[in-house]
Order: sequence, then C-alpha cells, then structure tokens
Amino acid sequence: MKKALALLLALVMVLSLVACGDSATGTTEPKGDAPVVENPDGGEENPAVEEGKVFNIYAWNEEFKGFFEKYYTVPEGVTVNWIITPNDGGAYRNKLDEALLNQENVPADEKIDMFLLEVDHNIVQYANSEFTQDIQALGVTDFSNTYPYTVQAASDASGVVKGVSFQCCPAALIYRRSIAKDVLGTDDPAEVQALLDSWEKFNAVAADAKAKGYYMTASDAATYRVFSDNVTAPWVDEAGNLQFDAQIDAWKAQAKEFSDKGYTINTGIWDEPCTAQMFADGKTMCYFGPAWYFNFSMGNAQDPEKGCYGDWAITMGPQAHFWGGTWLMASASSDNPTMLADIMDTFINDEEVCTNLVANEAQFSNNQAVNAKFAADPEYGNDFLGGQNDVAVFVELAKNIKFENKTIYDQIINEQLQSNWREYCQGNVTEEEAMANFYKAINENYPEVVTP
Amino acid sequence: MSRQNSRLSRRKSISYAKWGYLFIAPFFIIYAIFTLYPQLLTIYNSFFENYRSGLRQVGPTYVGFENYVKLFTPDKTGSIDILKYTWNTIVLWVGGAIPQITIALLLAIFFTSYRLNIRGQQFFKTVIYMPNLIMASAFSMLFFTLFSTVGPVNDLLLNAGVIPEPYDFFAEKISVRGLIMLMNFLLWFGNTTILLMAGIMGIDQTLFDAAQIDGASSVQVFFRVTLPLLMPILIYTIITAMIGGLQMFDVPQILTNGGGTPNRTSMTLIMYLNNYLKTSKNYGMAGAISVIIFIITGILSLFVYRSLTRKED
Amino acid sequence: MDVRNTYDSRKAKIMLTISRIVVYAILIFLSILCLFAFWMLFVNASRSHSDLQGGFQLLPDTYLLTNLVNAWNDASINIPRGMFNSFIVAASTALLTTYFSTLTAYGIYAYNFRLKKLAFTFIMAVMVIPNQVSAVGFYQMCVKQGWTNSYLPLVLPSIAAPVVFFYMKQYMESVLPMEIVDAARVDGSGEFYTFNRIILPMMKPALAVQMIFSFVTSWNNYFMPALILDKAEMKTVPLMIAQLRSADYSKFDMGKVYMFILLAILPVIVVYMFLSKYIIKGVTAGSVKG
Repeated sequence: MKKALALLLALVMVLSLVACGDSATGTTEPKGDAPVVENPDGGEENPAVEEGKVFNIYAWNEEFKGFFEKYYTVPEGVTVNWIITPNDGGAYRNKLDEALLNQENVPADEKIDMFLLEVDHNIVQYANSEFTQDIQALGVTDFSNTYPYTVQAASDASGVVKGVSFQCCPAALIYRRSIAKDVLGTDDPAEVQALLDSWEKFNAVAADAKAKGYYMTASDAATYRVFSDNVTAPWVDEAGNLQFDAQIDAWKAQAKEFSDKGYTINTGIWDEPCTAQMFADGKTMCYFGPAWYFNFSMGNAQDPEKGCYGDWAITMGPQAHFWGGTWLMASASSDNPTMLADIMDTFINDEEVCTNLVANEAQFSNNQAVNAKFAADPEYGNDFLGGQNDVAVFVELAKNIKFENKTIYDQIINEQLQSNWREYCQGNVTEEEAMANFYKAINENYPEVVTP
Repeated sequence: MSRQNSRLSRRKSISYAKWGYLFIAPFFIIYAIFTLYPQLLTIYNSFFENYRSGLRQVGPTYVGFENYVKLFTPDKTGSIDILKYTWNTIVLWVGGAIPQITIALLLAIFFTSYRLNIRGQQFFKTVIYMPNLIMASAFSMLFFTLFSTVGPVNDLLLNAGVIPEPYDFFAEKISVRGLIMLMNFLLWFGNTTILLMAGIMGIDQTLFDAAQIDGASSVQVFFRVTLPLLMPILIYTIITAMIGGLQMFDVPQILTNGGGTPNRTSMTLIMYLNNYLKTSKNYGMAGAISVIIFIITGILSLFVYRSLTRKED
Repeated sequence: MDVRNTYDSRKAKIMLTISRIVVYAILIFLSILCLFAFWMLFVNASRSHSDLQGGFQLLPDTYLLTNLVNAWNDASINIPRGMFNSFIVAASTALLTTYFSTLTAYGIYAYNFRLKKLAFTFIMAVMVIPNQVSAVGFYQMCVKQGWTNSYLPLVLPSIAAPVVFFYMKQYMESVLPMEIVDAARVDGSGEFYTFNRIILPMMKPALAVQMIFSFVTSWNNYFMPALILDKAEMKTVPLMIAQLRSADYSKFDMGKVYMFILLAILPVIVVYMFLSKYIIKGVTAGSVKG
C-alpha cells in the first residue's frame, strides 16, 4: 500500500517534471535532500563508552542497504561494513550461522553487529537463540507505533524483543474485478468482502466460479499462508510431537476439494501455470498477497498496455495474514550497542524517515501513525486496483495480523506439507504415502520431532 | 655379471624412485591440507549423533553403528529408503549414461575420421559442448518453461492431437525421470565426446596408416586398432561417468525442487544426503550415507575396472 | 579385375555418401537441440521481467538493450569486475589442476617405487568419496583458519584433483611409450626437464581437454565461492547472478538475470575455442620422430 502510494507520488513527480521541462529538476529533487536526516535521538551525542569502529551488517540483498545509506547518518569515525551473501541455495543462512557460531574467535571489529532476516529465514530460531540480544535493554523501548505482529516475530518465547522490522507486509485477497462481477455480481470491495469473509463462503463461491468457467485460485497453495498464519496451536508441541491444527486440516481439505473439482491448478505459486493466469486472458479470480506482490510480482498484469491493469481490487478475505518483510536483528556480539539501538529506533520511530520510506521508497512502514496519514489522503488511489485506496485497506488489515504459535520448524514443515500434499491432490500417491513422505521429510530435517 | 647387472639396475631404479616421490608429493601435500581432514571427519562423524536443532548443537555423542542401522531399517510400508534411492540413482544414471557414452563415441569417431572428413567440425564441436557451459540451474529454468503445462511442448502435443489435455511432465514418474535423463544427456554428451576425441587423436597415426595399407576396413580399424588403444580412456570415461552418476544431484534436485517427486521416485542418494545436511547439519546420518555411497561406488568401480582391463589383456 | 575395382569403388563411394548424409543428419539434429537452449536464453534475455512470467515465447522481444543496460548499471553487481575475478580464479584453477595432475600421473606412470601401488590405490579410492559432506567441513575449516575472502581456498585444492589425475594417467597409458623417457635419459635429459619439455608437449590434447573442463567447472562454481567470498569487489559471476536472483521484489528482474547468464557464457566460449585448437592429431607421432 505504501508502495502504491510511493509509486503514485513518483508518478506525480515525473509528471511535474515533464510539465515543467528540464528546469524543474532543481526544484523537486526527491532524493537529493532525503539523506540529510538530523539525528533525532541523542544516541550519538554522548559516546560515553568507547565503541567499535566497524559496524558489520549481514544481509542477502541490498534493499535495506539502500534505505540505510539514504536515511541514516552514520556516527563519525564508524565504518559500516556490509556482508552480503545471496539467498540462493541457502548460502546466506549457511554463512550467517557459521559466522554466529564463530563469534568468539574473531576480533571485535569483525563481530556481527546486526543481521537481517525474513520470516522464511526462520526468524523464530534466531530470536530464540543466544546470538541475539534484548533491544529494550539497549534503549529501544517505544513500540507504540509498530504493528504488534512485527514485534512478536522478533521476540523470543518469553517475550524479550530481539529486533525490529522496518516494513510491514499485510497481505490481502486480490481479486479480478471483471471475474468478480461475473461470479458475484459485484466488484465493490466491501460487497465482495461480505461474500468472501469466511472459508465456507469462499469454498462455496469457488463452485460458482467453476460453473462460469473460472478458477477460484491459480495454485492449490495460494491460500496456505492465510490458514497457517491463523493457527491456534504450534506445529510441534512441548513434548516434541507433531500436531495438526484445525486450520491446517481445513487447508488440506480445501486443497483436495479444489483439486478434485477443478477449482484450482496443481502448481506452485511461482510456477508458470499459476503466474500465466495473471495475464489478460487469465481465468483466475483470486490471488493472495501483500502490496509488493501485486505491485511488482504479478507479471504483465502490471503493464497498462498489455495486461489487465486496473481490473483488480483487494479486500481482507476470509482471514488476515501477512507475507514477507525484513527484520533487523540485534547481534549479541555487537560492540556498537548504541549505534545498533539508534538504527532500530530510527527505522520504526523517526517520523521523517518513516515518511520518506512511504513516500519515496514504496514501503508500507512499520509506523502506524505515518501510514494512517497516507491512508487518510482522499486524493490517493492505486490505478492497478482501479483507483482503490489500498493503503486504507492495509492499515485496517494490519491490526488483525497474528504472529502466534510459531516454531523454528515451521518453514520446512509448511513447505513439505504443500509439496507432498500436492502429490496426493494430483492423484499420484495415496493419502498414506503423501503423509509418510511428509513425515520422512520432517525427520530428515529435524531428527528430534516426533512424527505419527 | 648378471648379478652385478641386476644390482646395477636396482640401484638405478632406486635412484629414479625419489623422482616418483617428488612428482607425486604436491598432490599429497595439498590433499592432506585441504581435503583429507574433512573427509576423514565424514567417516568419523558417521558413528556419532551430531546435528543442529535450530542453532543448538546436539552431540556429538558416540552411537556406534546406530546411524547405519537407522538407514537400513524398513519404514512402515516395509521398504528401505536407501535401497530405493540407490535404485533410483542407478536407473537415472544408466538411462542417461548409455546414450551419452554411445553417442559420444560415435561423434568422436565421426570427427576423427579421415574418410568422412566432416566439414564445419569446429562449429559442431563447439555447439555440442555449449550446453555444458550453461549452469545447471539456468538450464533447468529453460526446461521448466518448455515442459510446463502451459509450455510449448504441451501446446505442440495438444495441437497435434497426441494428448487430449495438458500433460504434467513434472508430476509423473516416467516423465520426470525422462526429463532428468534428457537434461543430463544434453549437459554431458559434448563433454564425453571431447574426452574420447582427444583419446583417439592421441593414438599414433602411423598405426592407422599401417592398418589401412594392410587393407583393413574401417570397422576392422575401429575394433582392432582404435578400440584397444582407446581402452584406457574409455575406462576412464565409464568409471568417472559412474562416479558422477552415483553422485548425481543438481539436475534432479532443481527439476523436482528437492522433493524427488513423484513419491520420491527421482530422489537420488546425494539428494537424500542433502536432506540431512541442509537444515539440521546432521553429520551423523550424512556421514553414514557418504560411507555407503563410497562403498557402493568403490565396488562398482573396481568391478568395472577389473572386467574392462581383463578384456583389454 | 578392373571392372570389379571400379564397381567396388563406386559402391564404396555410394556407401560413403550415405554414411555422410547420416552423420550430418545426426550432427545437425544434436546441434539444433543444443542451440535451441541458447536461442531460448537469448529470447528470454530480450524480454521484460513481467512478460517472462507468462512462460515460453519463440521469438525475441524488444528489451535486449534495456536488459543489457539495466544489468550493466545494477548497483549491486559489477559485470566486468565479476568476469575478471571469475577469469582469474578459473584460469589459475585450470593451470594448476592440469599441471600438477599430469605431474602426479607421470610420477606414478613413469617411476617404480615402493609406495607406488598404494599411492595409486589411494587416489582412486578418494575419487569415489562424495564431496558434499566434506564440502561443509572444508568451509568450517576455512572459517576457523580465517581463509575467507581469499581466492586461495578456491584455487589451491585443485592441485589435488583425483579425476584429472586419473585421466592423465589413462591418457599416458594410451599414448605415451616409455621408450621416449628412456631415450631422453640416454640423451642426458634431467627428469624434471624431460617432464616439462618432452612429456607435457605430448600431452597437449589431454591438457587442453582438462583445462577446458576445469575452467568451465570453476567458472560456474557457486556453492563454495558463495560461502568464502563476501567482499563485493571479489565476487565471481555465479555469485553476482545469484545476487540478482535474490534481489528484493522491487529490483528483481528476470530479464537482467537471463541477460547476465547469456553474457557469462561468452567468455567461456572464447576460452573453449582457443583451447580446443590444441585437441589435434598426431602429437605423439610427431614427437617420437622428433
């Protein structure tokens, strides 16, 4: 949503540039003045304790590096060292884990000060380890404006906060307006929401969509995150036994029913049979995703000339959920605690920085007050969504997101359930075989988990 | 006299022996520094419980042969996983390697034949090696696109009326295995061709000339001159293809997204090993699987080496 | 007699033509298969990111130059630098591995010494150990020893390459008569001199073959370099490609990825064409006579 807003602002700026001709460049300078952010909190003013000269940040891409270099003023005398390892093939996690385990053996200036994670990197595992530290003790104490789930995600089991997210990624049900009109008789977000606000309704509508020649979703896994973000019990109980939450059982039943009845396609969410459905001649009504998904990852649907630009809209759908987001984790071995705390505080509480993230960087910030400002703008609308104000939708939606009942095993278990269950849905294996393969995969990855 | 002679020659061979040691020394020194220690550790680890749960290290605790016992314990359906994956690996290897070596041998003969005198050799030789230059991951992306249910192969088959509805190549055992074999073949046949070609070209040309003067047919030349002299290189090709085949990993891993789908029928031994290493860094189980792969490959290689060298004699 | 001869030669001519047709047909078929992959890479490198999600397309689009410019200007990577780094690593690996493997093979092939059999058996045995597990141990060792951000742990281990050694050994058995070594000794050539000046030139085709293979393997190597190298100015091509692929959604662009994959192949083709010139006939015969 923030992203959409920023896109819009960018568009306005480009238009004004075009309108005013070359001479206008000097007056707008969207980026030029951004880096000059006064240090808001006293962090650097009294470096009472001598701190390290090198600040080491581990990351897998340059997204945050870009924001950091623009909006954060590094204290004098400190060099920021970025250790960037691509995600491909698990290289980032391998690198990070070895480095964390080897912290005792390296000199202070080589110790990790901060590392970046996303949920798919198993953030729970790091938050619960001794390699991260309590940021409240470091002085980051104001979480009044952050979204609660982003704080939960970076907290350990006893509620100690170990990091913050500089962005928030609430996800919505994204539907194709023209298909919704055909199937539901309306494309108005509020009316569509009323017709799809529970899984019973969603599953029933799928039959109507099929009757009219449409798919409800383009992948059997499209709805998985929605279910799994709302479980009421963790995958693994305290005794180490695998257990199935009712939400997970509901997804399994839905995936099987949708496959058997032809309401969906047996493919992964990033595979071509799914993404090709987003093109103009696609026949799929519903996708699930956050702003980055529909603004950047929906193929040529985003191309006003080729696709089905403007034929989309969003609503919360059956349940709230989120997808993505990057967390800044405080490394326990940091020798720059003041700067570490200052960075974290800046990216969640500094109004100017958060505003810049929304306005210039297409981010939905982790600051509710700043986001609300943009949501209330009556002029704002996202053309991709037919002029709908997506920020307003997300501001409401984000309040309902939960980050509960998560375990360090979730990522692998979720992945494996989806792929093994798909084989059953396709009819290649029996249910027993699918589940047996699922349990095998869990035990290969986690010998300590007790499977049925 | 003769005694003196033999003493002399012994002294001579002893004096040359030091050169032998000297020449092989760099290999062994570097091997000892960089590779031997991790490899010995692999074997050692196979007798320990040693893995990570999250960032918490479990073990190492000595467990004797427990990891091996676990590997050979039948699951609920009565099948023993590691045997299933060994069989998968052998099927996938043989299916790719037989055409690969056969075609490569044919091509190598074509390219080196005076009689055929192929034009545009440099072009063909470059083109058939080119797939080897593409990273396997990039090659797989192309395969995904080509054989997807909305891809051109399905389009062609649908339009030709061969199939009534899109066929999911990545869901059926036979097509997944077929694609893995095809991809491995495409990636490696050019490589094998070049190996064999260099082998044939290394053969002393005068032997061919002599055979021709004696009136030997080209088939005779091949079986009487080329093949026997090429034998060492052919043995090399077969054995290394076998070692590579039993360690097959990247192609099936990427094409099945690590799952060895469907129903783990394209799961190879190294993919199985990788499952244990990837998340839990389970050196105990991974070590045990390595040792088993080592034993299987060792026995097969020895068998192939012995039977081929005997034939040569 | 004469009649039969002409008949025979005509028959032989027809047979030759037929076999030529068959051979060319096979070659052209295989070439099309191989080139098709490259055609697809090229087509994909000419398409926009959003369009690529739609799947296959037979004909190129208009984004070739855009993708090239975007890839070239991407701030997180430096294509010429990456190519240079990759070249340094791959070329040193290729040189070291072929030279020392040949040296080792020659040591085993040409000399008799007490541990010869043991040494040979050892190398053959370690050749069949899967290296996946020891790769992790190797990396941990590098971290402990502080060998990260250096090309040495990527290059030096190639001195001990059992597979290349085995090839050299087999090649020697196939083409290298011991008489040549003896003749050199009679001429008073030192052992080291014999190896460098007489043996190596005779091994040219084998050296070229293994140099190509090790160059390509090293050029495309991702796993270990990804762990060892993290300084931007030291990264090799596969790391940069991986970095493009793990870019955040707003910068993620498959068009750039395909473009870089395509670009990364070009230098290797040049190296291949250069080295494959040395895979030629008659080296042995020539040097025996010489």
